[in-house]
Amino acid sequence: MIDLYAWATPNSRKVTILLEELGLAYRLHPVQIRLGEQHRHQFLAINPNNKIPALVDHETGIQTFESGAILIYLAEKTGRFLPKSGQARAATLHWLMWQMSGFGPMLGNLEHFSKLNPGRSADAEAHFQREIRRLYGVLNGRLGETDHLNGDAYSIADMATWP
Amino acid sequence: MIDLYSWGTPNGRKITIMLEELGLEYTMHPINIAKDDQFKPEFLAISPNNKIPAIVDTDNGQTLFESGAILMYLAEKTGKFMPTEDKARWATIEWLMFQMGGVGPMMGQTHHFVKYNADKSAYASDRYLTETKRLYKVMDARLANNEWLNGDSYSIADIATWPWVARHDWQTVDLNDYPNVARWYKTIAARPATQRGWNVPETEQKIPMP
Repeated sequence: MIDLYAWATPNSRKVTILLEELGLAYRLHPVQIRLGEQHRHQFLAINPNNKIPALVDHETGIQTFESGAILIYLAEKTGRFLPKSGQARAATLHWLMWQMSGFGPMLGNLEHFSKLNPGRSADAEAHFQREIRRLYGVLNGRLGETDHLNGDAYSIADMATWP
Repeated sequence: MIDLYSWGTPNGRKITIMLEELGLEYTMHPINIAKDDQFKPEFLAISPNNKIPAIVDTDNGQTLFESGAILMYLAEKTGKFMPTEDKARWATIEWLMFQMGGVGPMMGQTHHFVKYNADKSAYASDRYLTETKRLYKVMDARLANNEWLNGDSYSIADIATWPWVARHDWQTVDLNDYPNVARWYKTIAARPATQRGWNVPETEQKIPMP
C-alpha cells in the first residue's frame, strides 16, 4: 500500500495521475498547504523541505519526496512509463528534468508575480513572462516533431508537464 | 567518448566534475553563452531548450540535455555515484531533484535579481534571497546528521548541488551561517576532480572559500 501526502497542485497531480494510470492502490493524506500543514513535524519527517508531494511505500519501506523522484520511483517499481534503456530513456529523463528545473519553477514564479502579486514588480513580471513564452515555444517545437515528449510513448515526462 | 557542449556555469560544472570523477574521456566543445552560441542551429539540434550542458555519447549515439538527466545517465552508464541499494538510491534521486527543482532555479533567480539587477526590484531580490536562505537551512539540517546529501556516500546529488553553493558569494550568503553546509562544501572543494572540473573551460576564477 502507498501513502501519498499531497494537495491539489500541479506537482501533486503529477503523482495522482500516474498512480491512476498504474492502477496502484493508494491512500491520499491531504496536506493543506494554505493552512501550513506542510510545516508540521509529522510531514517534515517525510519531507524536510516542507513541500508536497511525498510518498511512503509500505511494501518496500521506501519514502521519497520531490515529484520527479516519485515519478521515477513508481515507473521503475512497475516497469511502465519510463523506458528501461536507450535514447527513449534518455529523452524521457531529459524532458522530465526540463519540467522539473524550468517549466515548473518558472510557471510558479510567474504565478507569484502576475497572478498573486500583480503590480509588485513590473520587471519580474516581464522577466518571467518572457521565459514562459520561450518555454511554451520549446514545448510546441518538440510536439511539432513527435507525439509525446520522449518521442513515441506516453511517459512520466508528459505526466510531469501536463498538470 | 563523450562530446560535451558546455560552459563555465554551475550547471556546466556539474558535468565536468562528474566526468573528472569518473575519469571518462571527453571532448569539451565550449558554448559561449555570453556570445549566444546556444542559439546556433547545430547546438539547438542537440539541446532544443537552448541551454547548456548537453552531451553526445559517441559509444552509442545517445544525446542528452538537462544536467540532472546527464548526471543520471553517466551514473547508470558507469555504475558510480548513484547507489543501487534501494534506500540510498532513492535518497540520491530525491536530493538530485531537490537541486534541480529548487536550489538551481531559485538560486538562479537570486543571481538575476540580487547580483545582476540589484536596482530593479527590491521585492523580487528579497523573495529569492529569502528562498535561497531557506534552502541553505534545509541542506544544513540534512548535513547535520549525514555526511552527504544521500546519507553515506558522495553522489550525483552532491555533484549537482556543489557548483550552485560555489556561487554563495554572488548570492551574498555567508556559508559560515550554515556550518554543516560549509564543512560539506570544503570537503568537496578539496577533491582533485572538483578542482579539475572547475577549470573546464579554463578560468581565472578561483573556487570561493568561506
